[in-house]
Amino acid sequence: MSWKAACPVSDVKQDTLKECTIDGIEILLANVGDGFRAYPPVCPHMEQYLEGSGICANNVMTCDRHLWQWDMKTGEPLGPAEKPLLIYQTKEVNGQLMVFLDKELEYDFDDDDD
Amino acid sequence: MLIEIEKKSQTYQFEANAGEKLLYAGLRAGIPLPFECATGTCGSCKARVTQGEVDEGWSEAPGKERFKVVKREILMCQCSAQSDCSLSVPTKIVAFRDDDINPDHHIGVITQYEKLTEDVLRFNVEIPTNISFHAGQFFVLQAPEVNGFRAYSMVNYSPGTNQLEFIIKQNPHGGLSKWIFDSDRTQEKLELFGPLGHATFHPDESHDLFMIAGGSGIAGLMSILEYGRQVNYFKNRKVSLFFGVRTPADFFFAERLRAVKAQFPDTVSINIAFSNAPPTAEQLSSNDGLIYLQGMVHEHALPAVLEGGGNVMHYLAGPGPMVDALIRPLILKSKIPVHRVRYDKFS
Repeated sequence: MSWKAACPVSDVKQDTLKECTIDGIEILLANVGDGFRAYPPVCPHMEQYLEGSGICANNVMTCDRHLWQWDMKTGEPLGPAEKPLLIYQTKEVNGQLMVFLDKELEYDFDDDDD
Repeated sequence: MLIEIEKKSQTYQFEANAGEKLLYAGLRAGIPLPFECATGTCGSCKARVTQGEVDEGWSEAPGKERFKVVKREILMCQCSAQSDCSLSVPTKIVAFRDDDINPDHHIGVITQYEKLTEDVLRFNVEIPTNISFHAGQFFVLQAPEVNGFRAYSMVNYSPGTNQLEFIIKQNPHGGLSKWIFDSDRTQEKLELFGPLGHATFHPDESHDLFMIAGGSGIAGLMSILEYGRQVNYFKNRKVSLFFGVRTPADFFFAERLRAVKAQFPDTVSINIAFSNAPPTAEQLSSNDGLIYLQGMVHEHALPAVLEGGGNVMHYLAGPGPMVDALIRPLILKSKIPVHRVRYDKFS
């Protein structure tokens, strides 16, 4: 696995979320103003797809399902969220947004202790 | 049949009867499985079958959107076991409150049946035993001739009762709704499971309340008002209610709302918004303590929300699109902390 082209950077507008599939892996893309972020497509709470349920403002994402929130730049949880967003490495090459796909990032739902 | 859910910290086990929905079996056993609507539309009770055979039930359930067949993803509220099963549940299994009430199956009898407006009915269901529920909770109901449970919030509140009061809006395409509107159903039997739901009111939390309801969504908020009234909660705490219906002819529970206002005139504010017609001259000139408005309920309610939330708990109750349309501005514009918003979405 390696760097893969996701889409033109101009397709990913600030305060919106865009989903794409690369080599069968679903990825959620975001524009955080001074760069881009790529996350797994679902909320780490209950696997809600965030392209539909994520509300973005001022680089804070809120899942409208149970209102978990994250700092979109770092993925760190805010408010009631108990888990961070996982983040793929991204870079921009010739107007294309590239995502480093080493392996699919998935949330661990098996631990009830945290 | 034995159902197992394995987590790193512990393995949960419960028995499910033949044909019993896995969600109901687990909740009944006291395992706080994830759910919201409990009736197939939201997708919150997703699980993966890792071992065993299941009957998936409602194959076109809206909650199954984007479910992956290869991962054997199911809705626990629709699925029943055909053998011992192992499941994995992609969320934390955690109790909502220490005083959560275990839901259970009941057979009830419709004892009161009354039309409140052209398309809203009020009915009571009597169950064989006394139970408790939190104000704001709901039951799922299934009529004998109609397949599929539907969720309805209780209107009444009483600590320990065999009477559950519901309202239901007419939906000619609905299952239970069509059945119950077809003729007077007094003395007919219903299957029930509950109580369920987390959009609840607890006096020990000591918040002011800000409540927005559309149509029959008022049910659970009536229960909250009733509980608050019974324990004199509104003696020291404020409550603002915004209740939206289409026209003055669609407005119901006027007497009950006036009674709450009359009992606590200084702390209770009740606003009725008509989306499709102006208030009547009689309403505008009356001194019944209620405030009558024209327009969409959220257009009147949102400007009244206190920015930052203060010590206020916000309750949203109504059709799914109304709840969705309120959450965004509450969080983004009014900057309400998310733990100060409660709703159950089941339409």
